[in-house]
Amino acid sequence: MSDPTAGVLLRAQGLIRDFGGFRAVDGVDLEVRSGTIHSIIGPNGAGKTTLFRLLTGILRPTAGTLELDGRSIGGKPPHVIARLGLAQAFQTTNIFPRLSVLESVSAALVSRHRRTGDMATWFHRRLEIEAREMLETVGLSDAADLESQTLSHGDQRALEVALALAMNPRLLLLDEPTAGMSPFETRRMVELVHGLARDNGLTVILSEHDMETVFGISDRVTVMHQGQVLADGPAAQVRANDDVMAIYLGGHA
Amino acid sequence: MTNDIPGGAAVAERTPTTTTTGHRGRRPLLRAIGPTALVALMVMLGFVLQASPLLTLEEVLALVVFATATNILLGSAGLVSFGQAVFYGIGAYTVALGWLHWHLSFWVTFFAAPFVGALVAVPVGLVALRARRLYFALSTLAFSELAYQLAESRYSFTQGANGVFGPFVPTSLTNPVTGYLFVLAVTVASLLLMWKITHSPFGLVLRAIRENRERMQALGVNVYRHQLVAFVVSGFFCSLAGAMFVIYSQSAYPELLDWTMSGAPVFMAVIGGMGVFLGPAVGAFIYQFGHDELVRYVDDWQLVLGAVLLLIVMFWPDGLLGAYMRARRGRPRNADETADRSADDE
Repeated sequence: MSDPTAGVLLRAQGLIRDFGGFRAVDGVDLEVRSGTIHSIIGPNGAGKTTLFRLLTGILRPTAGTLELDGRSIGGKPPHVIARLGLAQAFQTTNIFPRLSVLESVSAALVSRHRRTGDMATWFHRRLEIEAREMLETVGLSDAADLESQTLSHGDQRALEVALALAMNPRLLLLDEPTAGMSPFETRRMVELVHGLARDNGLTVILSEHDMETVFGISDRVTVMHQGQVLADGPAAQVRANDDVMAIYLGGHA
Repeated sequence: MTNDIPGGAAVAERTPTTTTTGHRGRRPLLRAIGPTALVALMVMLGFVLQASPLLTLEEVLALVVFATATNILLGSAGLVSFGQAVFYGIGAYTVALGWLHWHLSFWVTFFAAPFVGALVAVPVGLVALRARRLYFALSTLAFSELAYQLAESRYSFTQGANGVFGPFVPTSLTNPVTGYLFVLAVTVASLLLMWKITHSPFGLVLRAIRENRERMQALGVNVYRHQLVAFVVSGFFCSLAGAMFVIYSQSAYPELLDWTMSGAPVFMAVIGGMGVFLGPAVGAFIYQFGHDELVRYVDDWQLVLGAVLLLIVMFWPDGLLGAYMRARRGRPRNADETADRSADDE
């Protein structure tokens, strides 16, 4: 196809979300190409988290369209969107506190294999090898039998990513994956995300505060400000954008 | 058994736990010894005990199934229902009314009862599960009250407050020994089925939903539908328990549907421990024998029940069996034993 839209995995057009009288997301257009790491940045309150919640179906858009690989996902419930290949690792640590790390990933795998209604087999235990592979990918092999809530913050975020990966997604949403992490943990996470995109051909949408991380890792960057897209393009180009420097990066310095 | 790992210990344990295979490290044959011995003992009791204690045991076993079925919701799914007596009562009434109106054989109605309960659980669950937490508990309570009022007021169908009495239990089961052995067999079969269900992929998914429903939703799971299935499964076994109770009571009456009856299995689960599969069963024994002893000496046995529940909630929030299991695990560990901590809810 010579269609200029070929290779676009996720497309949002005119996306709007109101909360009462407040417009948190105000006419956002977004194109995320297959196999890229696409960052969405912006100051607090720019609407990043709301945008993410729209993409995953936790919130319904007030107006606008959302397409994943050409299929409309706007207004669909989260579990349906997840099944279509969009997985998310959450901003606030969002794990299963009293399940072991291995059980957590096994539960996600049971869902991916569509065996959640299975009451009669030991299928979830047969998934152990697959689950341990996931844990190895995110560097949690040593923690498999620990209760999830006892993990360190960085390890809990890694478990988040493992849960998302267990769905074998085409598109992975990471909401501030390095928030609250030590420099060491941050580097580990960045390497992990980079590896996922490079080795597994995964498309990643990233929301991030840390500018070093963003421009170091991203293929494309979208800058949001007050619910709207302020700038959008290749990372180097956005970095050189004067508006971005003034309104966003300038305010940060 | 959950919050007992201080951060430092968790780090120290990392090396040994990774070398074991977690829950798989426990030999299944070894684990089956205890329950098998217990069942053998219970069978022997059938030939040793007098008629009166055997009848009491029939009632307790019905409550064991009732409490364990309720705990599918409480323990696995994290859903606090104060309406399971609806299904317990339906089980009893299915047998009694089947005989009264249609002269159906006990054996037909006894095995139909759980399916009737499951069928009723579908609409009840559909409505109650729209609400969350406290409001879920309150709507199940409302269903219990509704069922009670219906049974009491529709005299022509249910014989109202009098209840249904009659010779509908076959003489082979009114005999204390065979009756007890039959009830015991049904109990063992139900517990095995419920154990399997809670230790299946579905059971794991239920526990994951209990821990974090939004996360499970994001992982592609329809939470509402899975909770509904859990509700129906619980209703199925609660109704079976109600049908078992009829073998003991030879009657069905409105109080079986009442919200105080709905509270009983919740209390039993709290007493024994919601996080352990056999916790509610142990709770049922303590609750019923405690009740039978207490009513002989005190007028307000509920007062004592209240005090006991308070003590347990304050000092043994995991229940008595839960506290016992934890104490056993609290012994100095070797590398093999640390793996047991993360095993399934036993």
